[in-house]
Amino acid sequence: MILLSSHAMNNAYLPKRAVIEKLIEESPDTKTFVLRLKDKADGRLKYKPGQFLMLSLAGFGEAPFTFASSPRSDGRFEVSVRGVGSLTTALHQLKEKNIVGVRGPYGNCFPLDKIRNKDILFVAGGCGIAPLRSLIQYVFKKRNDYGKIEIIYGCRTPKDRFYKQELEVWRKTPNTDVYLTVDEPDEKWGGACGVVCVLFPKIKLNPKTAFVFLCGPGAMLKFAIRDILKLGFKEKNIYASLERYMKCGIGKCGHCYVKGKYVCLDGPNFSYSQMKELGIES
Amino acid sequence: MERFFITKENLKILSASLKKDCDEFIAPRYEHLDDVIFGDARADERELLDYEGNSLISPRAFLLPQTEELFEIKSAKNCDFVQIEDKKKRIFYGIRPCDIKALTLMAKFFLDQPRPAREVRGEFVDEFYQQKLERSTFIALACGKRCLAKSFCHLMDAGPLAREGFDLQLIPITRGYLVEVGSKKGSQIIKQNKKLFVKASAQDEKEIKALLKNFAERVKKIDFKKLAKIMQEDKVSQEVWEDIGQRCVVCSGCITLCPTCSCFSIIDRLNGDKGVRLRYCDGCPYAGFTRMAAGNTPFPLHKDHIRRFFEHKLNIDLERYGTPSCVGCGRCIQTCPGNISIRKFIDTVIQSRYEQRILTKKSSN
Repeated sequence: MILLSSHAMNNAYLPKRAVIEKLIEESPDTKTFVLRLKDKADGRLKYKPGQFLMLSLAGFGEAPFTFASSPRSDGRFEVSVRGVGSLTTALHQLKEKNIVGVRGPYGNCFPLDKIRNKDILFVAGGCGIAPLRSLIQYVFKKRNDYGKIEIIYGCRTPKDRFYKQELEVWRKTPNTDVYLTVDEPDEKWGGACGVVCVLFPKIKLNPKTAFVFLCGPGAMLKFAIRDILKLGFKEKNIYASLERYMKCGIGKCGHCYVKGKYVCLDGPNFSYSQMKELGIES
Repeated sequence: MERFFITKENLKILSASLKKDCDEFIAPRYEHLDDVIFGDARADERELLDYEGNSLISPRAFLLPQTEELFEIKSAKNCDFVQIEDKKKRIFYGIRPCDIKALTLMAKFFLDQPRPAREVRGEFVDEFYQQKLERSTFIALACGKRCLAKSFCHLMDAGPLAREGFDLQLIPITRGYLVEVGSKKGSQIIKQNKKLFVKASAQDEKEIKALLKNFAERVKKIDFKKLAKIMQEDKVSQEVWEDIGQRCVVCSGCITLCPTCSCFSIIDRLNGDKGVRLRYCDGCPYAGFTRMAAGNTPFPLHKDHIRRFFEHKLNIDLERYGTPSCVGCGRCIQTCPGNISIRKFIDTVIQSRYEQRILTKKSSN
């Protein structure tokens, strides 16, 4: 084996270096990493809402994370990380100015052309709000290009809610409604209780034309999609951002393979019609 | 296709000359008494120029090794990584036609992916596979006699003769070998060793003709489309999958030996602040193959794992490449302690017999 310091080979598995510019505590177990590519030669990371990146920490490995922010001109991008496994726990130990490895962007984006001038419903469960936030921010940049927007967001307890200030900003935007629910309320909580489906009676969008974007745990997706279909929303207009175990992000390692599709290449965003073809219910 | 003839004596001289011209001469050798295994024969000259059956382990192991370093970690803390390149020139000798077909499918998978319409997404080439492939030469050896008892390449459009994917193909007859040229690399070898190749005698020609006729007669393709359709429409009885699920003991023999299995995982090995990131072969039979950090496993059951394995080889890859990626080498059947047989599966599904067989077994109990 010969070691080369030059970049003669286009190694798809080699991460670029990114600096943690800011760390935001979203909830007791989740932090948002504000990142920017470190090396000038790498330029800006160009991506579209809904795509994901592979975030790595040498010694702890690599895992896929969806961008939690919409593309910005300053080259900063955000990733929200819940500390559940060995890599994510190690990531939580990092401080600002530390360096992580990133490669990507990978996967498809949300159907950005199709949703112009349309009403949009976002349904998020737990950390499922993160991938949707990239699209919500994108839509809010040109808010007048879209119709009515409703955001339904459920989490375990009021403390587990991410992006608290941003949710208030969205709520105050005209033609926009934000509905929140929690599984276990505390004494200060005045909102709804239960799974996201309890908020569905509040939906005022026209189901025939509106688009729905969902992200959350498997069980939530299954029941939320079932109830949304009951309201008359069209299967081809319902999109979910799916989570799968993946190691490469480029359709080679085989972990995220489902019936001839790779979630990392053909997804992670699938319409419900596609999900049915793949036999995925959640 | 250009054809030449080489005698057995001259083949010895050719292999000796080829060995000088490469970093690894990967050829079949006897190991552990009479197991045929591929290995580098440059140093010990134990290569078998002709052999019966096939190697226990497929030549995939040299292109997608069990573990392979992706890059060096110079400093974990600073995320300082350095590329690793493999510039070894390898000559593969004596690869069976089934494995040659497998190698062409693997090359398609790792280098380009002819796939249906896509939205936003790039093409990804695996340069680790590519760099090794580009510096490799493949000399195929057609199967004179019957191969492993469990092989069925003649049903899977993969043998006993390779049609493409080799640089040279040797077809054994009594006095020597008919040599087919399959690529520029192949004709280069012929050019450089011109003196070793002679004209076939009338007797040789007669033998060749008879052999090729015999090969053609042995080929019996099964109806791949019918098979895929039954699987697509989920018409394989649940009992079939249950039966297979019970038999699987997750030994991973099938995925380790399969010449077209390509799945891997990535892991870091650190010693202090330095180390490597490497990939190692992984596969769908393992229970944790699809398990995610928070604990959710989309495919938790054995029967789903083997189903995924079979559907990938027989249904999905047929759609993608126009041919199934099971090449009928029979290694998975030979190694399976639970006696799961992809051939039996194919046979019985195509003839819709599996269900019946289970039912008869039950009623006789």
